[in-house]
Amino acid sequence: MELSAIEFFFTFLAISIVIGMIAVLGGVGGGVVFTPLMMGFTPIDSFIIRGTGLLVAMAGSLIAARPFLNRGLANIRLLLLAGVPYAIFAVIGALLAGYIQETAGETGEAIIRLSLGILIIGIAALIFFGGRKVEYPEIKNVDSITERLALATSYYEQSLGKVVYYKVKRAPVGILIFCFVGLVSGLFGLGAGWAMVPTLNLAMLAPLKVAAASSKVLIGIGDTAAVWPYMKDGAIFALFAVPCVIGMVIGTIIGAKIMIKIKAGFVRWLIIAVMAGAGIKLILDGVSRLGSS
Amino acid sequence: MENEHPKPPISGVIYGTICYWIVIVGILVAIVGMSMYFISGGCFDTEILLDSLWEGKVVEEVWAEASCVGHLPEGHWYLNFDLLSHGDVIAMVGVAIICCAAVVGMWGAFVGTVRSREKLYAVLALIIAIILTLSAIGVITLE
Repeated sequence: MELSAIEFFFTFLAISIVIGMIAVLGGVGGGVVFTPLMMGFTPIDSFIIRGTGLLVAMAGSLIAARPFLNRGLANIRLLLLAGVPYAIFAVIGALLAGYIQETAGETGEAIIRLSLGILIIGIAALIFFGGRKVEYPEIKNVDSITERLALATSYYEQSLGKVVYYKVKRAPVGILIFCFVGLVSGLFGLGAGWAMVPTLNLAMLAPLKVAAASSKVLIGIGDTAAVWPYMKDGAIFALFAVPCVIGMVIGTIIGAKIMIKIKAGFVRWLIIAVMAGAGIKLILDGVSRLGSS
Repeated sequence: MENEHPKPPISGVIYGTICYWIVIVGILVAIVGMSMYFISGGCFDTEILLDSLWEGKVVEEVWAEASCVGHLPEGHWYLNFDLLSHGDVIAMVGVAIICCAAVVGMWGAFVGTVRSREKLYAVLALIIAIILTLSAIGVITLE
């Protein structure tokens, strides 16, 4: 493709703004759309894309942290509890990605593409079938470990005009799931809101808004741990990373503003189609690389 | 009071505020760097860099062919004083500042949890802050 540097910059800026907007409107993080789309439809090396994908997911999340934490929507205790397994396993995932890159060559690249393709189709299916989401889960009994962790708190719910008090439960189960989520996030360069929201909402029974806000902030913590190894291994190039980060931040802000005004149903379908397309392309690519390696 | 806004925990407020402003500063530095890159060039030859990216070359090859360094650098290469006159290297400093946001923010959250005497959460914040710091300073590396 014959693009000048400035054309490349503004093309990727525009693409990232669109990805940021549709990601917010579809209720997923930017990284989960960015990484498979770039891996599926550009020839850029997957290691570079995965590092940039982590950076992109991280930047949007760090910007969102202030309003969510100032309003008490994101539960800082929940974040710290989940942040430890998530950060540790995100680093392990990033190290594993580097190991595969250095030792497995073309076969490693094929396996990464194949597994990411399968994962992305799984996530698209998860969004398609909707999953059971509970706005304000009812909790009768809290297990003793979670009780001792004192995770119950409250926030002011603007739409109801009142304070919502809530508890969570099954903290040990949540911690185990966050280990897996961190590993996937670091390995594939994805934010992991698609897995964290159901974990917090369905497994730990946090209110949906708290789960969404906490997961968004948590991505910034785990992805920071995972992005540094990519940074220091020279996998992030300013010409590619800067427009993608700026575009994703602008897209997230625009998306958040128009989300209030439009019905996001069609965007959800668009995301499912894009992710399914990217997933199939990655699987085909992975299979063909496996065949030729 | 049912309708009184609950006060958010200070550790969260500190973390969020630090992250927000550091990211803003990082983005501004990156924009200045990219503007310089487009006006006066940089460490990476844009044409060769784009060709290498579009040809799907791996990181080592991209560095060897397109950068002024000529090989894959080690550590925080963008802090090398000799390279800091290049716009794209300044942009990378901006990216690194963005990556530092959660590291600094988590130390802030640790101080917040200590001040509000939440022992368990102070320990958890400390663990995360240490992991992020080790990752940032390069103790955790792909090599």
